[in-house]
This record gives sequence, structure tokens and C-alpha cells, in this order.
Amino acid sequence: MAKIKNKKRKTADQVHGRKEAMQAKKSMNPFEIHVNKEKMRVLGKKNKNDRGLPGVSRAKAIEKRKHTLLQEYKVANKSNKFMDKRIGERNKNMTEEDKVMARFSAVRVKAHNKKSIFNLADDEVLTHKGQTLSEIEKFEDPRSDDEDNDYEQKSGNLEKDFVGDAHFGGGLFRKTGKEGAKTHKELIDQLIAESKKRKAEKQKTKEATLELTEKLDSEWKDLMPLINKNKKTEEDRDKESTPKVDDYDKVMRELRFEARGTVSDRLKTEDEIAKEEKEKLEKLEKERLDRMQGFVEEKSNKPTHRSADDLDDDFVYESDPEYMLSYNNEGESNVKVDATINGKSIGDNEDNSDEENDEGDEEEAEGEEEDQEEESEEEPDNLSDLKESDGENEDLEDEKPKTQTVKKLGKITEKFKEEARKNDTIILPKEETFNTKEMIQDDLQKRKEIMEKARNELPFTFSLPDSYEDLQKTFENQSSNHQCVILERMIKCNHPSLSAGNKENLGVLFAYILQHLNDIGSEATNAKSIKECFNIFNAIVPQIYELAQLNPDNAHNSLREVLKEKHEEYKKSPKKYPGLELLLFFKLVSILFSTSDFRHQVITPCFIFMEQMLNKCKVQTQIDISYGLFLCTLILEYTSLSKRYLPAVVNFLGGILHMTIPKTSVKLIKVSPPFKSTSSHLVLVEDKSKKTYDNLKLSSADLLDSSEITEDFQVRAFYNTVKLIEEFVNNLKDLSSNVEIFQGIANYLKLVKVDKYPKVVKEAKLSLEKLLENNRKERKLEFIVMEAKKPKALRLYEPKIVEIYDGKKFKVQSREKAARDKMLHKLKKEQKGALREIRRDKSFLGRVKISQKLQSDKERKDKVKRIFSEANIQQSELNAIDRKKKRK
Amino acid sequence: MSQQEKPAKISKLLRIKAQEFLSNLNRPQCLEEIVQHFHSGSDTLACLLTLEMVFCNVLKDKVMHLEYVPFKSIDNTNFHYKEWLRNVYENCFTKIVECIGQESQKIQLQGLSSAMNILSYEGKYPLDNKSNLESYVPLHKLRAVLMEIISSRQNKTNMINKYTEYLMYDDILFFTWKVLPFLTAKCNPKEVYMVNYLLLLEKMQTSRNIEAQILCGTDAGAFFNFDEAVIKKSLNKIWHCVMLWEHTPQTHKQLLIILLEKALPHLEKPLLLTDFFMDSLDVGGPVSLLALQGIFTMIQVHNLDYPNIFAKLYSMFEPEIFHTKYKARLFYLSDLFLSSTHLPETLVAAFAKRLARLALVAPSEDVIIICHFVGNLILRHPGLKCLLNNANSGMSNEDPYIMEERDPLKSNAISSSLWELQTLQQHCQPSVATAARFINAPLPSVEWDLGQILDNTGDDIFDKEVKKFSKLIVLQFEKPNGGALSRGEKVLQFWDL
Repeated sequence: MAKIKNKKRKTADQVHGRKEAMQAKKSMNPFEIHVNKEKMRVLGKKNKNDRGLPGVSRAKAIEKRKHTLLQEYKVANKSNKFMDKRIGERNKNMTEEDKVMARFSAVRVKAHNKKSIFNLADDEVLTHKGQTLSEIEKFEDPRSDDEDNDYEQKSGNLEKDFVGDAHFGGGLFRKTGKEGAKTHKELIDQLIAESKKRKAEKQKTKEATLELTEKLDSEWKDLMPLINKNKKTEEDRDKESTPKVDDYDKVMRELRFEARGTVSDRLKTEDEIAKEEKEKLEKLEKERLDRMQGFVEEKSNKPTHRSADDLDDDFVYESDPEYMLSYNNEGESNVKVDATINGKSIGDNEDNSDEENDEGDEEEAEGEEEDQEEESEEEPDNLSDLKESDGENEDLEDEKPKTQTVKKLGKITEKFKEEARKNDTIILPKEETFNTKEMIQDDLQKRKEIMEKARNELPFTFSLPDSYEDLQKTFENQSSNHQCVILERMIKCNHPSLSAGNKENLGVLFAYILQHLNDIGSEATNAKSIKECFNIFNAIVPQIYELAQLNPDNAHNSLREVLKEKHEEYKKSPKKYPGLELLLFFKLVSILFSTSDFRHQVITPCFIFMEQMLNKCKVQTQIDISYGLFLCTLILEYTSLSKRYLPAVVNFLGGILHMTIPKTSVKLIKVSPPFKSTSSHLVLVEDKSKKTYDNLKLSSADLLDSSEITEDFQVRAFYNTVKLIEEFVNNLKDLSSNVEIFQGIANYLKLVKVDKYPKVVKEAKLSLEKLLENNRKERKLEFIVMEAKKPKALRLYEPKIVEIYDGKKFKVQSREKAARDKMLHKLKKEQKGALREIRRDKSFLGRVKISQKLQSDKERKDKVKRIFSEANIQQSELNAIDRKKKRK
Repeated sequence: MSQQEKPAKISKLLRIKAQEFLSNLNRPQCLEEIVQHFHSGSDTLACLLTLEMVFCNVLKDKVMHLEYVPFKSIDNTNFHYKEWLRNVYENCFTKIVECIGQESQKIQLQGLSSAMNILSYEGKYPLDNKSNLESYVPLHKLRAVLMEIISSRQNKTNMINKYTEYLMYDDILFFTWKVLPFLTAKCNPKEVYMVNYLLLLEKMQTSRNIEAQILCGTDAGAFFNFDEAVIKKSLNKIWHCVMLWEHTPQTHKQLLIILLEKALPHLEKPLLLTDFFMDSLDVGGPVSLLALQGIFTMIQVHNLDYPNIFAKLYSMFEPEIFHTKYKARLFYLSDLFLSSTHLPETLVAAFAKRLARLALVAPSEDVIIICHFVGNLILRHPGLKCLLNNANSGMSNEDPYIMEERDPLKSNAISSSLWELQTLQQHCQPSVATAARFINAPLPSVEWDLGQILDNTGDDIFDKEVKKFSKLIVLQFEKPNGGALSRGEKVLQFWDL
């Protein structure tokens, strides 16, 4: 609207002016306008080059050339000249004054432009005695004025009268008022003296005034605060007089500035926490399974499945890991937990995994609470708090593993129900403990108390040890749970969240603890110390776990270094089992790291190390046997989730069985190295069938050097070997050639005579044989079939769809390339333009030359004509004279 | 001279005596004293050194040199003196050579070096003028030395090692070859002798040394012709005897090593060895392996065709091989044997299946080799793909393959399947598991290179795995209960700790 209004308000002048302009334009010959053809009309696009005026532009160009090229052409082949361009310098008509005037006016003209019309003398700074007026106007120094004012009087110059008298005065007709005229010299002297005197006076007064002003200033400054204060107090009074702040306002303001509560999640209920915890665990479990399959590295982002319709467009098909879903004879599928429906997992060990997860939940929760409340809980499973307390006294110490195994065995019974009968035999002796909850409660109470006592006995803060010796000193003469508490407090006092360097320091602590384990392991030489060693290990493991969780990187690297070192040591004597401490480390590894991974930086070297030992080390003494059995147990533990297979274990267990076979016949029973076909260290000579054993487990004392192999050990070793084999058989049940793997062992078992062994052992052996036989019969071998090659699909091309289409084709290329291409294009254009210009210059010059030539020709012709005409005139005159003469 | 005096002193005394004798040759009593002391048996070392010095100088000065100039009466006293000196010399030399057979190592070594030193001087300055002989090496003396070296009384490994230093000289090498056939026992010698003899034989080159050096002669090469044909002849002679000895397993092995490394190319009728090799093949262990290599050479070079060779090779694959040092060689050789593409598929399938079975009990490093080996076999014999792709048979209860069958052709392997490799995919070691995974994917077009992995040991794999770095650090996410895992705890199930 505003625009329209403006339009209406056009003045007559404007209209008139435009009309004139229009007319001027209209006067242009339409033939002189060249219209550039437009291929595509775009609305709203301003077009500059829709029409051109070739004539005008040519004229312009010619004009331009005249000023530039022509000038150059004119001075071509001529030496340069010095040109004096000062105004009027070469004009002889101008006088000196005229020149100055002209130059000055030129400067003024130059300075005078459109903008400065209304700027009246703004650019000229007026000065007074070298000082700008503005500066003077600040009146910074009041003295200057006075000085200026009576400058004449006070300056050392001569007085008016005096000058008048002395220089121009009177002459003959004038008389001085004074008697006796002074001589000229006297006069001069008087003059000098007077001026000096005046100068001194002036100086004096000046100094006095300066002093006075300064004094005044200082006094003024003293007074200033008084004045200000007065003002303030008045203001205060004013304020007081204003009405008092209202309570309401106050509250309102307070409310306004109060920190507002940010919107946050509502507190979670316990159910939700538990659920979250469970989900987290399930996620971790799923990740673990993936790692177990080795998918992490291999299946990074490549979908394995490609359908026939795959268009190579990176469209990811949601694929499951490729399993053949199959069911074994018990109707359990081979695909495991990854199928979860509504949070409930379905898989072959459904109840198992659930139970485990629950267990995990409880433990987590307990770990957080960590209080006495747990004691009142009735469930026998809740032994997790035992991790803090570990048996001071023997019976307590015994308790824990037993109950643990009870739990474990319970699981196994669930899992393999058909073998329940066999397991019962083991459970039987321990069922008492299982049943008597109260006893456990008592134990718990006791242990709690001991723990509390330990807690109270120790100081509350522990600094981190500076050196390993420091740690040793701290741990010296401390019982296992004292050590545990010390570690716990060390970690708590130096938690990474408390200070920046703590993470590294705890890493160092981790290394020290490893060293500590190494030392207690290698120092254990008798039954008591080895017991103590394992006690300490059991006690501090949870703390080590904590440490590892705080700094996984470091835990990782330190254990790897330890393994490397131990392996180097072992390499020196590869036929001998290394020290006990290595077992501690292997056990620690299984606690700290995820053993089921397909490839793990710590676990895999452990496997190789253990395999090497089992394959190479000689088995001759009790310690060799028990060391090997420990390694086998560890491998069983490592592989219990991943169900992997290590041949060395089966070899070793077979070898142990072979040792129990009495070699009476001449026929050699073959056994693979490192066992010797003649060794029979474990052959039971005495009849032990009547003896009952309440604990057939191998003990830590078996790991000690002992000169001879006792009968008890023989029984226990055999029993545990059989049990281990059973575990392995069950573990490796799904492998297609499990029968072949255990063929050797089955053969040995047939040769073992079990008459002399106790009943439990006999039964264990029989059940193992039965299991092997069953496996052999029930095995279904599916012939391997390679995946059929998929027919390669024809490539189908779809139209290429570009999101924004603007008629231009965008090349997909790098930025550098694009810039280069742009530059090349520009260069080409410029080159063309330059060539065109050169051509035009040439033609222009040609034209100039030809015109010059024509000009000079014409001149010459004219000249010739003139001369001829003159000559004709002359001739005619001459002829006329001749004729006259003739006439005469 | 009493026994109590210090040996240094004695050696000094002996030296003085020797100097005395050498400065004035008319004092035979000095020499006799030395010789007597030597015979007495004490201070043998010093005596050896002294005698060596004396005789070297004497030989150098040609004191013993007898010139038989025809039709010229012999200077009697001088002649007798020379005769006497020669006698002493010969006696002493035999005595010195006997020193080689003494108990003490030092004396042995000194004896050998003294004997050889004297020998070389005699070669350079011969006792008689035998100008027609190209190069004079006192053969009877060399023979005495050699006899002592390969004596049947004691193990002379040190001596032989020392003697190899002399074998660097072309002439000694050549004449040792020449002498040796005469020293070879014709019928069953003692074991010590065999060991010594074979050791010496092993050290001897059949061709000229790279640097032509000559011990018994002043300038090299000019007058000495190293004739390899002669050596070949004597080698053949030696071999005819050696083969007939009754070998212990150790010497048998050594013999085979020598045969393979040195002798085989030089023998005239190598095919005669076939039975020897075949018998060796049955011995088992490293011997059969060496024999296998020999047979391979025979097949390759001499067109040997022996029935049943593959059955023998087949029978060599037993679980024990993984604990021998020769396993890499066995794999290498069997790879060579089975590299022919013209073998019956049943045979190759039996090998593949047997290897796979063995892989079930083998150490990891060998499992990797076996996996690739089996893969190679399948690549070479596309007919074996039925081991990996048997769509027709469906299910089975038993593995049709019979492990106990000795004859590979009857083992029924071709109708089996390589379940073992499937099993090994569940191996604890990731490298093994990946090696066994080849059966899941289409086979590659190029064979695996066994050469790189043949010498891998467990240590190598350990180092490789330890060095392997990945950013993924995975901890156990379940808290332990004391020393027990919260899940899958097994140690406490079996151990009372």
C-alpha cells in the first residue's frame, strides 16, 4: 500500500524527467539493438544481458582504444619524455601568483566533493598558536590565559613607549621629560636591566600562583569526601523514608529466584530397578554370546545373507546368525538365548539361565545394600555376602565351597535328570548341611561378626602403597579377611571419582596385588601355607574384581604382561610344570574376564599356555598329576559356557586313566606322550572298597611336592578324573565327532579295574561308561552338506532419483577437482576473451594505419595539386607576360 | 726326573733338552732321554709338544733325508745315524698316534694335532726322493691316524670334530677318502666303531673344498689332482660294506641321514637301495621318515615304482607323530607324495580322513597344518568334495570310516564326511577354529601354503596372540562370590581349596 501511495505522489518534475529520458531512449534506432535469445524464461529472475547495443558498445570500445592503444601506438618507437604536470608550469601567460592561486584552487576542488557540501570547514582544523581550538577550549591550564592576556606587559619585550622613544622618538623637535638626555649606550643598558628585572618578577609571581593553586587543589580534595558524604546520607534518608519491603514481595522474590527443580525422571520402583538390572544383564549376556560366536570382528557391518533380489544397494537385511534350527532328542533346540519373547527367554536351558539371571540380580542388589539385613533372609542361596568374609577357622572355610557345590550340583541334577541317581551319591553326604539352615545362619552370623571385628580393628583409611614393599608391609601378618578389608578401604579412599590421578594409582595397586598373589603362590610350600594362600586368594578376589572393573585397560595389560613373563619362564624348561602361582593367575583370569569369547586378548593366550603345558610337561609325580588336573578343571571352567574343545585336555585325562590301568600283560597299551606307556603311578594296590570317604575332592595340599603317591590320592585322582571326563563329555555332547574324541578314553576305561575302589568311585566310573555308550548309540551324524550356491541375480537397474533437480548435472567429485575444473573453465574463457581483444586491437590499429596512410596520401595529393596549380598560375602568368611582350 | 716336579718345570727341561739336541745333532742322548721319558708315560702332554717340535725341525732340516745315489758308497757313520734317527722317528710316531686312543681328552687332542703336524712336515719335506709322485702324503701314517680315530674302543666325537678341521685341506680329504675303504669293517663291527665311522663319514665332503688349501705340500694345486671319480669309487666301496652292518636304530638313522645328504647322488646303482629303504620304512619313528624321504628321491629321480608305498605312508600317521621332531618333515613329505593328481580318490580320501581324525588329538599348531593340508587335498582332488558335500546320504549313526583299517583303500573313507573339521570349529583356539572354518565357505582357488606354517610352534602362536591388540576389552560382568564364579564355577566343584 505504501508503495502505491508513493507512486501517486510523483511530482510533475519527475514525470517530466522520465518522459525526456524515455524519449531519449526511444530515439535509439531499433536496428541497433541486438536481442539475446533466451532459452528458458525463469520467473523473477533479473536479466541483465537480455539485450545488447552493439553499435554503442563498439563505439565505447573504440573510444577506449583511442585513449589507450592509440596513445601507445603513437609513442611507440619513441623514447620517453619527462612531463612536468605542475599546474601552469608550462604556461607562459600565467604569473607567479596566478599559478599559486590555480594550484590552491585545484587542491580545494579536489578536496571538495559532493558530500562535503554541507560540511562547513569541517575538515579544516583551526589552530591558535599551534594548539587546536578544541584543545584550548578544554581549559586545562588556566594560567595560559593570564599569560596570554598580559603577555605584552610581562614578556621580556620592550615597552611601547620605550620603543617609540628609542626608535622613532622625536628627533630634534622633541624633548624628553627627563633632565639631561642620556647617551645611547646608557639607554641600552637601562633597557637590558629593566627587561631582566621584569622577567625575574614574572617568574616569581608565576611560581607563587602555581604553589597556591596546588595547595588549593589538595585542600579541595580533602574537602571532597565531606561533600559527597553529605549527599549520600541524604540519599539514605530518602531511602529510609520509602515504604518497607512487603513480606509478600519478599517471598515472591525469593520464590522467583529459588533454584527451580529440573524436570527429572521419577524415582524408580524396586521392580523397575530389578527389571532394568535384568535387562542389562540380558544385554550383556547377548553380547557375550555374540563374542562367543566370534561375530564381533567378522560380522562388523556386512550382512551375510543376500537375497536374490539384492540390488547391491547396501540395504541391510535383518539377519540372525546362521544356525540350523534343530532339536535334540529331548526336544531342546540348539539355538540359545537370543530368542527372547516378552522378556522371557526360550532356549534349551531356559530355567537355568533365568535362574542365573535372578541370581545375578540378587547379587547386584545385595552388593549395593551390603548390610546386615541379609542375615534375616531365609533363602539358602544368599551366600554372596560371604565374599567379604572368609573362614578364619577351618570348618567355616569348608562350609562355603560345599554349599556352593551343592547349589551347582543341584543345577546339574536339573539339567541331566536321567543322571540324577549318580549325583545323589555325591550330594548325600552333604545334604545335612544343605538342610540345616540354622547352622548356616549361625555360621553367617559368626563370620559377620568376625568381619565386623576385623573392620573395627583396622584403621578406616589406608593410603595407597608407594611401592610393593609398602604393600607387603601393610599385609604382613594380616589374616585373609583383614587383607580384604584393607584392600576394600584402599579402593574406597582412592576411588577414581575422588581425584584425577586415582585411576592410575589404583592401576599400580592392581599390579602390586598381582605381585602379592605371585609371592604367596610361590611361597606356599606346606599344607598350611597353601591353604592360607587360597584363603587369601578367595578373600581378595572380589576386591581385585572391583579394581579390574574400575580400570579394565590396566587390568588387561598387567595380566597380559604377567602371562608373558610366566610364559617366558616356562619356555626355559617346557617339560616341567611351573609354580603354583600360575594356577592362581589362571583362576583369576577366569574370574575377571569373559572366558567364553571367541578370541580374547587374555583368555586366548591362557588357553595356548595351558595347552602347551598339558601337551609337553612330564607327568611323573603327584604334583604333576594334580597340577594337570587343576589345569583341566580350569579349562572346563573356561569352556563351560562356550562349549569349546581342547584336545590336550582329553589327552591328559586319558593319560591319567592310563596310569590307573594295571600293566600286567606283555602287550603294550599305547598312550600318547607326554605319558609313558609303562607308567602306572596310579594303580591302586590296596583294597579300598570298604573304606568310605566323606570328601573325594582334590585338595590344595595335593598341589604340593610329595615324595610318594598315597593311596588316598590315587582314589581321589581317579574319581575326579572320571568326574571331569563326565563333565567334558556332557560339555562337548553337541560336537559331531564327540564319540571319536572320547574313543581313547572309552578304551582305557574298559581296562581299568575298579574292584578295589570305593563304591562311589565305582559307580562314577560305570555311569561314565554308560554315558559314553549312550552317546555312541544316540549320536546322529548328519553328512556335511555345503551351502548351495545361490544363483546370481541379474542386476536390475532402477531409475536414478535425484532429490533436487535443477537441470544441471552435478558431477560427483572431490572439492579439489571441482576447484581445478572451475579454474580451467575460467582460464579458457579468459583466453578466448583475450584473443578476441587482441584481434580487435589489431583491427583497430589496422584501421588507424590505413587512415593515416590515406591521410598522408591525401595530403600529398593536395600538395601536388597545389604545386601544380601554383605552377600553372605561374605558367599562366608567365605566358601572360610573354603574350604581353609579344603584343608589344 | 721325579713325578713330583711341576709339569711346567718338566716341559722347560724337555724344551732345553730338545734345543740342545737340535743345536747339536751329535748328541743323540738328549733325544733318547726325551723319548724314554715319553715312553715312561708321564707328562705326555709336554713330551708330545717337545717331540713335535724336534721332529718338525728335523724334518725341516732334512736330517733324515736319505739319498740313494747309485754307484756311490754310503757314508757309513752318517748313514747309521740317519737310520737310527728314522727308527726313533717311526717309533715315536706310532706312540704319538697311540696317544689319540688315551683317556684324557687333552692328550687325545694334542696327540692328533701333533701327529697331523708331523705328517704335514713330512709331506712338505719327504724322507725319500720320490720325485715322480705328484703329491706326497705319507699314507701309512695317515692310515694309522684314521684307524685310531675310528677305533672301536671309545666314542671319538671330539677327535672327529678336530679332524674335520684337517679335512678342510684338499689333500687330506682326498687321501682320507682313498684310505677309508681299507679301514671299513667287512662284517658286523661294534656299535662304537659304527658311530665313529659314520660320524667321520658325515663330516667328509665329496667335492673339493672351496678354498683350495693343502697341508702336505708347499704350494697349492700345482702338483695335486683332486679326482672326484676316485672319491666316488671309494664311496661306493665303503657303502657296500656299511649297508651290510647290523645297525642299531641310532646308527641306522645316522646312516640314512648320510645317505640322503651325501651319498645318494654318488652311488652307482641307487635302485639297489630300494629294499634297504623299504626295510627302514618299517622300523618306525624318524628312521622311517628318513627312508620316506629317500624313497621320494628314488621315485623322483630314478623312476622307482614300488607297490604299497602309500599304505606305508598311511600307516605312519599315528597320534605319536605330533610329539616327534620330524612331524614338519612328515607333513612336508606327505604333501609332496600326495601332490600327484592322478591318485585314486579313495586313497586320498583315506588320508584326508585319517589326518582329520588325528587333528582331534593334535596340538593346536598341528591342527592348523592339518586343516590346510586336508583343504589342499580336496582342492587337488575335486572328487573329494563329497567329504564336504554329501547331500545324498542324509543321516548316519556311525562314521563309515574305519580308523583301524591298515589299507587306505579299504578304509571306506570316501563315503564318510569330515565331521572332525566341523568339530574343530569349536576349538578353544581362535586360529584353529578359523582354520577349520574353510569347509563352510566355497573353497578357494589357490592352495594354502603349508611351508609358512610347518615350523610354527605353540610358542609362536602364543606370542602372536599375546601381541594381538584389539580395543575391545571384555571383563566378566558377573560379580564373583569369593573365589568362585557366579556362573559356571567348576574349580571348586572338584577342588577343596
